[in-house]
Amino acid sequence: MKPVSFDYHAPASLEAAVALLQRYGGEAKVLAGGQSLMPLLNFRLSRPAALVDLGRIPGLAYIEEGDGQVRLGAMTRQRTIEFSPVVARRLPLLGEATKWVGHLPIRTRGTIGGSIAHADPSAEYPAVLTALGGAVVARGPKGERVVQAKDLFVTYLTTSLEPDEVLAEVRLPAMDPAAGFALEEFARRRGDFAIVAIAAMVVRDGARCAQARLATAGAGPVPVRLSAAEEILERDGLTDAAIAAAARRAAELVSPDSDLHASADYRRHLTEVLTRRALTRAIRGARV
Amino acid sequence: MSDPVTVRVTVNGVAHTGRCEPRKLLVDFLREDLGLTGTHVGCEHGVCGACTILFNGEAARSCIMLAVQADGAELLTIEGLMQDGRLHPLQEAFREHHGLQCGFCTPGMLLTALDLLRTNPSPTEDEIREGVSAVLCRCTGYHGIIKAVEAAAQKMR
Amino acid sequence: MTLIGAPVRRVEDGRLLRGQGRYVGDLTLPRTLHVAFLRSPYAHARIVSIDSRRARELPDVSACVTGDELAPHARPLRSESRMTGYRATEFPPLARGKVRFAGEAVVAVLAESRYVAEDAVEVIQVRYDTLPVVATPEAAMAAGAELVHDAAGSNVLLSRAFVQGDADAAMKTAALIVADRFRVHRHAGVTLENRACLAHWNAGTAELTLWSSTQVPGLLREALADLLDLPVHRLRVVAPDVGGGFGVKSALYPEEVAVCALARLTGRPVKWVGDRREDLLTSTQAWDETIDAELALNADGTIAGLRARAVADVGAYSIYPWTASIEVIQVISFLPGPYRVPHYRGEGWGVATNKAPMGPYRGVGRPVSTFVTEALVDRAARRLGIDPVELRLRNLLRPDELPYRSPSGLVWDSGSFVESLERAHEVLDYARVRAEQRRARDAGRYVGVGVASYVELTGVGSAISASPGAAINTGTEGATIRVDPGGTVTASFGLACHGQGHETTLAQVVAEELGARLEAVRVIHGDTAASPSGTGTYASRSAVIGGGAAILAARALKTKALAIAAHLLEVSAGDLTLADGRATVRGAPDRALTLRAIAQAAYGGAKRLPNGMEPGLEATRFYDPYFGTASNATHVAVVEVDPETCAVTVRRFVVVEDCGRIINPLIVEGQAIGAVAQGIGAALLEEIVYGEDGQLLTGSLMDYLVPTAAEVPAIEVVHLERPSPTTLGGFKGVGEGGTIGAPAAIANAIADALAPLGVEITELPVTPERLFRLIARARQTER
Repeated sequence: MKPVSFDYHAPASLEAAVALLQRYGGEAKVLAGGQSLMPLLNFRLSRPAALVDLGRIPGLAYIEEGDGQVRLGAMTRQRTIEFSPVVARRLPLLGEATKWVGHLPIRTRGTIGGSIAHADPSAEYPAVLTALGGAVVARGPKGERVVQAKDLFVTYLTTSLEPDEVLAEVRLPAMDPAAGFALEEFARRRGDFAIVAIAAMVVRDGARCAQARLATAGAGPVPVRLSAAEEILERDGLTDAAIAAAARRAAELVSPDSDLHASADYRRHLTEVLTRRALTRAIRGARV
Repeated sequence: MSDPVTVRVTVNGVAHTGRCEPRKLLVDFLREDLGLTGTHVGCEHGVCGACTILFNGEAARSCIMLAVQADGAELLTIEGLMQDGRLHPLQEAFREHHGLQCGFCTPGMLLTALDLLRTNPSPTEDEIREGVSAVLCRCTGYHGIIKAVEAAAQKMR
Repeated sequence: MTLIGAPVRRVEDGRLLRGQGRYVGDLTLPRTLHVAFLRSPYAHARIVSIDSRRARELPDVSACVTGDELAPHARPLRSESRMTGYRATEFPPLARGKVRFAGEAVVAVLAESRYVAEDAVEVIQVRYDTLPVVATPEAAMAAGAELVHDAAGSNVLLSRAFVQGDADAAMKTAALIVADRFRVHRHAGVTLENRACLAHWNAGTAELTLWSSTQVPGLLREALADLLDLPVHRLRVVAPDVGGGFGVKSALYPEEVAVCALARLTGRPVKWVGDRREDLLTSTQAWDETIDAELALNADGTIAGLRARAVADVGAYSIYPWTASIEVIQVISFLPGPYRVPHYRGEGWGVATNKAPMGPYRGVGRPVSTFVTEALVDRAARRLGIDPVELRLRNLLRPDELPYRSPSGLVWDSGSFVESLERAHEVLDYARVRAEQRRARDAGRYVGVGVASYVELTGVGSAISASPGAAINTGTEGATIRVDPGGTVTASFGLACHGQGHETTLAQVVAEELGARLEAVRVIHGDTAASPSGTGTYASRSAVIGGGAAILAARALKTKALAIAAHLLEVSAGDLTLADGRATVRGAPDRALTLRAIAQAAYGGAKRLPNGMEPGLEATRFYDPYFGTASNATHVAVVEVDPETCAVTVRRFVVVEDCGRIINPLIVEGQAIGAVAQGIGAALLEEIVYGEDGQLLTGSLMDYLVPTAAEVPAIEVVHLERPSPTTLGGFKGVGEGGTIGAPAAIANAIADALAPLGVEITELPVTPERLFRLIARARQTER
């Protein structure tokens, strides 16, 4: 289990990284934290001609808030996010999700940009990005463009980024300080990828639901924003009946696949159960 | 084959310079190029945790890192855990509480526990279980490991 | 305090905690060549042609060797058995003619590094003609099925039955019969250290040394000598520090044969360090059985009879020396468990398929037999309305019934079957747990209690054999103890420790029996050049057989040391005690000689020794417990099932075990708890899955799920310590037990938790997916 031979580049700037990606014409891979890419290299399932390591580019790890959003540099480590006061205050859902990402020694290396660009549909960050309606900034030969979460994930391990584009920044709208939130996950073991996870955020207006946000991990080839379920709550309020109806709707909205660990039926069932649980907990945590 | 790269790295306080292929895994560099075989290879896909070291002070899996990524870094491996010729409190506690049997996971387990206690000096049992769940042990059932980390935490506070 | 029984901190830890252990992968020799194997991508195919030209031309590639090229240098492994109904098959070190499972080694590439060797493997062109894949025992047994081994003439490699009384008649007259089909899926041992070996051929002395991550260096030496045509004394097999075994490393593997032959062929050291993918593809796997079992009971809840048919998927090859029979024969041998079963018929079949070979794994057969029997006992209890603990108490063998010959011919020399259950009942506070369970149920929560009692045969002597019918003796082990002129003691064993702490426990036995200081005793194991002939460590034998040999050798040495001391001190030996490294005259503590002084005299020549005494101070003794001794335990699990997510959480786990006289309670506890953790994995997480095309679908540790610290609860262990009446020292084996009881206890606890839904557990592991289906079906029936 040793990687194939490849060229290695550690450019000093994003421009240089993009130029390298162009030069290899799709045959190069971007190395961020490496926690997903390296296993694929070791299994020789990924066989790039070159690696472009973002690790030596200064200024790619930051968490900044402003204009109602939080901007995270692509190379911000998951461990940094876990302990970030800005995240705790403005993006507590992201903070909770981070505790579900792998294990301690994975989070010290793994990055938010890498996790999202890898687009594993069972991963937590893509679900949070989708639930909160965030976006990523892609840097390519023609400069920067912003890609909304809904336009980013194409299918398993595939994003709409071009082979010569680098995910440079993640942007998430800051959460309403009164919002309740929850990430409910079912995995076979501690630290495993989710069989299904549901990211939820609820803003209350008395008994009414001012805003509901729901997205899945593990329930299909891409994270699914459960808009039709959100609408039920925003229309019918936060009663148990509305929660149950939203959860049932959630199960109808997903098209999970079967794999070794769970059938499509079971994943659909979990989608309902976890949506209900996530909503219940989020509502309990929301300030009236 | 790609041109070799130079890797300058400080391991357990000692500076080393090596040349290797870019694809060389950090764990293989430590074991083969530097002769530090205390760091073990268990799965080479980042699951078992046997290869865990401290990378610039943080626990990291050396089987899913390239040696070249460590250029300029400071590493701590199991060989550097003793202090002034004496066992580290974690090592002592693992011995006292029978926290190891075959010993293969032990280096990764110790370095993971070290990082856990750095950020959480008074962990609950559940927090210890969650923290060391990063490393698989097939022998102990984790019982002695949990007790050892609890005991070491107390001593290190 | 005596040394035997003391919680001595382990000697091994000093090096292992500092990263100074030496596992095979850590060893380097000058000019070493690294091996990567080209492994078959197909489960069943003819090899049409192999073209290694491009690989040979790569820089730093030394050689590419095929099965046909290796054949003149190494014979295939052939595992014989005296068992009737057994068909021996051959397992070549590298495939010849055809491949029989995905992952079978086809070509060995030798290169300057593993990286380059793997590059070369990728450019070798092998043309295969695929054959129909024999994917299941059912398909394998069907008329006209493709044969895995043409020479065997059948895919059924073995069949055997144990019969006592008339089980059919018992079924006819029983008040209640509980029956079902049970399925236990394929399991992997997953040692943290993958298999690895390094061979060195010394052309000058015509000697071969093999360092291997193995449990059985002695077995390997004898077998390799035969396969490589070398005299046994020209072969040395060393098992250095070994990162876990669990039975997986107790067979001779084709890679070991290949690496030895390649070292001889190339004249250079040859090293293979298996990676995790290779481990999951090729290391022996376990279980994979379907058992139809019926338990007949009388109206008073006593067992009237048991009938069972077990079919095992043994994979593509019969492994050496245990044969393909080891797992399924143990299942039918142990199904009656620790119970009084007057009528029994157990039949077993081992069927070849195109999968990795089946081999011994911790518990061998008994995790499966215990799961089946204990599930039926619990089901009978539910049907009869008798508490499951009470039903067990009515059927467990009582001390006054022992020794007892089991329906399959095993002898339980002793046991605390009833006591262990009663004690577990008490430690758990059974009544309180049941009350909590009722309260939880009222609150809509599903909590369950599961009990499993079992008995196992440990320290198996030559009368039984660790593998029925296998053509080897596993019943003896030796110890050589030498006191050197410096007064320090070296005790060497043919055993091979892989985590059990023999360097500590055997030193405790030797120091106590000899009267030496513990620190003065050094234990050597795992090196055929440094030890008396033996086989190794497996089948819960080392404390019993190795400990027995240690006692015999230490006692012989003590007698001699005392005779020398008596001569020098001019007293009679009967007036001396030898303890803590000093021989002292009773009642005169100032008249004493150190062991060192005695040893110097022993090596100093005849003039300082009693008349006619041979100089020197060392002894070798062998021990054979003949039948072996029964070890037993009761496990109780308390679980909670989330009926929505289908998650199972183990809330409590109690073990009451009796491994006889304890040498070191820390180590016994470590063995018991570690084995239970594996049992928890077996019950809930771990499953090897093959596709219908014979492809392994669980080829990584992301898919084959080993429990982490977060899935294993704190485990409570109580020791009963009833010494064995039949073994020297009173020791019984303890290495495997936890894995035997835990799956059954957890399965029973899940069934108990879901009893309101009428869910029965017949399949292991109980994955969330399976529970989801079981609960959904139960709810459908309800409606």
